[in-house]
Amino acid sequence: MDEPMPARRGLHEDIAAVVIGLATVVLALAITWQTRPSEDAGNRDRYSKGWPSPAASWIGTPGTWTDQPLQAFRDSTGRLDLAPVVVGMAWVVCVGVLGAVLGGRTVRTAILGFAVLAALACLAYLLATQKLVKYYNLEYPLWALAVGLFIGNAAGVPRWLSPALVGEFFIKTGLVIFGAEVLLSRLLALGLPGIMTAWIVTPIVLVTTYLFGVHVLRVPSRSLCMTLSADMAVCGVSAAIATGAACRAKKEEISLTIGLSLFFTVIMMVAMPPIIRWMELDAVVGGAWIGGTIDATGAVVAAGESLGKEAGEVAATVKMIQNSMIGLIAFAVAAYWAGWVERNADAPRGSLAGEAWRRFPRFILGFLGASLVCSLLHSFGPEQALWVEGATVGFTIKLRGWLFCTGFVCMGLQTNFRELAPVLASGRPVVLYLGGQALNLALTLAMASLTFGWLFRKVVEP
Amino acid sequence: MALPEGGGAVSASGGHLAAGLRLAAGAAITAAVWCGVLPRLLEVGPIQRHVELMEERGVDPAAMYYTELERLPLRPAWIDEVIVLWP
Repeated sequence: MDEPMPARRGLHEDIAAVVIGLATVVLALAITWQTRPSEDAGNRDRYSKGWPSPAASWIGTPGTWTDQPLQAFRDSTGRLDLAPVVVGMAWVVCVGVLGAVLGGRTVRTAILGFAVLAALACLAYLLATQKLVKYYNLEYPLWALAVGLFIGNAAGVPRWLSPALVGEFFIKTGLVIFGAEVLLSRLLALGLPGIMTAWIVTPIVLVTTYLFGVHVLRVPSRSLCMTLSADMAVCGVSAAIATGAACRAKKEEISLTIGLSLFFTVIMMVAMPPIIRWMELDAVVGGAWIGGTIDATGAVVAAGESLGKEAGEVAATVKMIQNSMIGLIAFAVAAYWAGWVERNADAPRGSLAGEAWRRFPRFILGFLGASLVCSLLHSFGPEQALWVEGATVGFTIKLRGWLFCTGFVCMGLQTNFRELAPVLASGRPVVLYLGGQALNLALTLAMASLTFGWLFRKVVEP
Repeated sequence: MALPEGGGAVSASGGHLAAGLRLAAGAAITAAVWCGVLPRLLEVGPIQRHVELMEERGVDPAAMYYTELERLPLRPAWIDEVIVLWP
């Protein structure tokens, strides 16, 4: 991403994102704790998505609709209820204003812009929740980028909106809040076979694809190679957001990565189940193959479930393991970028570590900190696990969703695809994605067959 | 009117009208596709079957992260009977 917006006085953009993000996570945990169940608080069967948080009903996003957009704003009883969506939009404005105050920027000139961005984020959600669009995994980041790109290209960006275009700040704040959902205990969910399938294959594919892009295809931008590789090897859009921010990828590069990823995700979601049936793969192996290769989490479950319940459950669990790796991968990418890619060869010996620390994106520490604290809390016992899940699954996913969506609208508004035209025309990003995905498909199939199909398979008596 | 970043630069004279027309045309096309074409496509055989299957199984294919799924993908209970998780 580009350099953060300079502040006259006040906190650096990354620090402001960490302060707001961590305060939000603490607040969500406190609200959920205040209303904890008085009995059976550790019963997962009773609270399958964690303790019910009262805050979950305060904020919402447009729901699924078919042909009448107003359906998206109706509650479960069919009554028109705009309040949760309006609160979501107000949350965006609040974060924008808080960021401006902490960063020492003028609030007055930006507040209208934040409100307009929130409305555009709502429009993007509305486009994403149309039934056909939703069930074919065309996620809201794509439509947020599209809305921004269309307005930016069709009408230009008005000057009064300029002070509110702090998309990177919205995304960084969303990422710190998102950290609370990245639970390290999930990495062990499928034991040794899960570790071998997700932990060995994923880093190999990530590093190989990145090196292939940089040294063989000679894609001019290393950050594009890294963002594309992480998106494809780890878990799609969420990995693109985290690693793109960690390696300061340009807006155009993140937009291109998300577009490419969702395009191929839809193809793989539709094509893989019949291919697996044709290959007569075992349901567990097929599920693990889907979970390790399709980028987007929702598409993994959709493809797995169309093979059957067992395949769907294994696919979702393997994907969850990959999902849980993004905290560590984003940290590793940020450290590699600050310490190696962006290093100054002329810097005096001994100052390299200091230089790397100076360049290190601080918001990654907030992201990792939220992940570590919530992982620790989650591991204390069943009640604490349901506490964390109630605060995150019920509440903070909506908060960070609105921030990501607004960030992508900003990114679309500021994206200038002419900068990427030569790279796009060369077709190298597509070749990089396809090459990396081919390696991913081959290695994951080999590892899933080895672990789930043979090495750790119990002999079941007929 | 326009910033250096972003797509189109709009000239001062007549720019507003042209920009407004482009936005209106885009909005009209989007509304027609989302409210007219996509609902019809939902009635096409394979698409209808896919959507019905996902609804029946409670799957949200638009989930970006596992926490957004309708059901949290915890380790399936039956997996211990088929796979040795910790040899």
